[in-house]
Amino acid sequence: MKAKVILLLLLGAVAASAAFLLLRHGNASAPVARITRDGAVLEEIALDKVDAPYSLTFEDESGRNVVTVERDRIRVSEADCPDRVCVNQGWISDGTVPIICLPHRLMIEIVGAGGDVDGAAG
Amino acid sequence: MSKRTLAVLLTAALCISALAGCEKRPERMEFTTFAMDTVMNFTLYGSRKDCSTVQSVLTDRLAGYEDMLSVTKEDSFVYAVNHANGEWVEIPDDDILALLYSVQGLGLVTGGALDFTAYPAVKAWGFTSGEHRVPSDEELEELAEKIDYTAVKLDGNTVALPQGMEIDLGAVAKGWAGDQMWKAVKENGVSSALLDLGQSTIVAVGTKPEGNPWRIGVVDPAQPGNYFAVVELADMAMGTSGGYQRYFEQDGEIYWHILDPDTAAPARSGLSSVTVIAPSAFFCDGLSTALFVMGLEEGVQFWRNDPNFEAIFVTEEGKIYRTAGLEGRFSLAEGYTDREVVVLK
Repeated sequence: MKAKVILLLLLGAVAASAAFLLLRHGNASAPVARITRDGAVLEEIALDKVDAPYSLTFEDESGRNVVTVERDRIRVSEADCPDRVCVNQGWISDGTVPIICLPHRLMIEIVGAGGDVDGAAG
Repeated sequence: MSKRTLAVLLTAALCISALAGCEKRPERMEFTTFAMDTVMNFTLYGSRKDCSTVQSVLTDRLAGYEDMLSVTKEDSFVYAVNHANGEWVEIPDDDILALLYSVQGLGLVTGGALDFTAYPAVKAWGFTSGEHRVPSDEELEELAEKIDYTAVKLDGNTVALPQGMEIDLGAVAKGWAGDQMWKAVKENGVSSALLDLGQSTIVAVGTKPEGNPWRIGVVDPAQPGNYFAVVELADMAMGTSGGYQRYFEQDGEIYWHILDPDTAAPARSGLSSVTVIAPSAFFCDGLSTALFVMGLEEGVQFWRNDPNFEAIFVTEEGKIYRTAGLEGRFSLAEGYTDREVVVLK
């Protein structure tokens, strides 16, 4: 009886350790778009769960950005910032190049997509 | 249940627990900050203590650089120089003095393709205010006459500009800041880091913790949401200049922010982006702009005369050229593998 309890405990420990290792080293590959202003998270969207395209508007005293979301991708579709760099950038679908609207300090980045690069230049 | 089975299980449990719990790895710290008119992203690997020291050092320094180099902040050094009406202005420290000499030197070696006195022209096009306009030919001619980096006078630790001239270190400030921070990161005990100073300037400090080089995507100028190639970097900087980074459209015409110092108008040399890879971020930043202004032919000639750096050129037609020294460190990204790459020798 005592041996069985020890066995169960041990099995539990093995399973838990193995699970911990697997989970820690595994790459959760669901892409999530994280929208922040000045570093504070405004919205997080699981892009693989988007069924129909939709738009969101983010507005504060600096200005307004309209973000369009589709399955697996996201873009800024309208903005009242002067240079519209964010709109010109178009769609993003992986974690390489975030969309940044500097005048509005708005950033859209994709996290958890497990991209194969560490950064991007351009 | 035999004792033997129990012993095996016990050993297995201990081994796996040891792996899970005691594996020593440097911690990863990532932070983002808005500075110098861009968003910067830093990834550091090291002990928690060293990483947080580096974070506060970098944040402090960035604020300092901005206070000194901003063209719009009224209490900055650059603003003081631009509004001194020809009078001498004291240079705040030796680092800035070195920066001014370096940017003048880079102007010299690039035959004036990089010129830090183009600020009045940048303003005339509205790239500072966002109120874009296309200046008339006469206005451009007048502006071009006033662009001349050789007219900036440096004497001891003072600097003076002729009346009507204004400097802007924007083409090199991020690269210069990258070099300063590169040093600061290492001095504070972090030997593995990626400093992304707004994508146009990247500094790869050391390698990734496991010893592999950092993999950096190079943005496709035709589709700035994608990257067309991957470059592997270890203890190396990289700078990209491209018309797509900042531009406006008027009457179906695109006008971008990289101006040709000879004409005071957007540089249309047939290139859409230039990436420079070298051990100095300042050099990468400034030279990528200069090569963009020069165009492919002149740019390649420049490299052949002084092959101390690697480069990637993309033409407006989408043709890709890279220098031979990138062999083994350059690869086309997914979706671009069928693109032809001309290797420059």
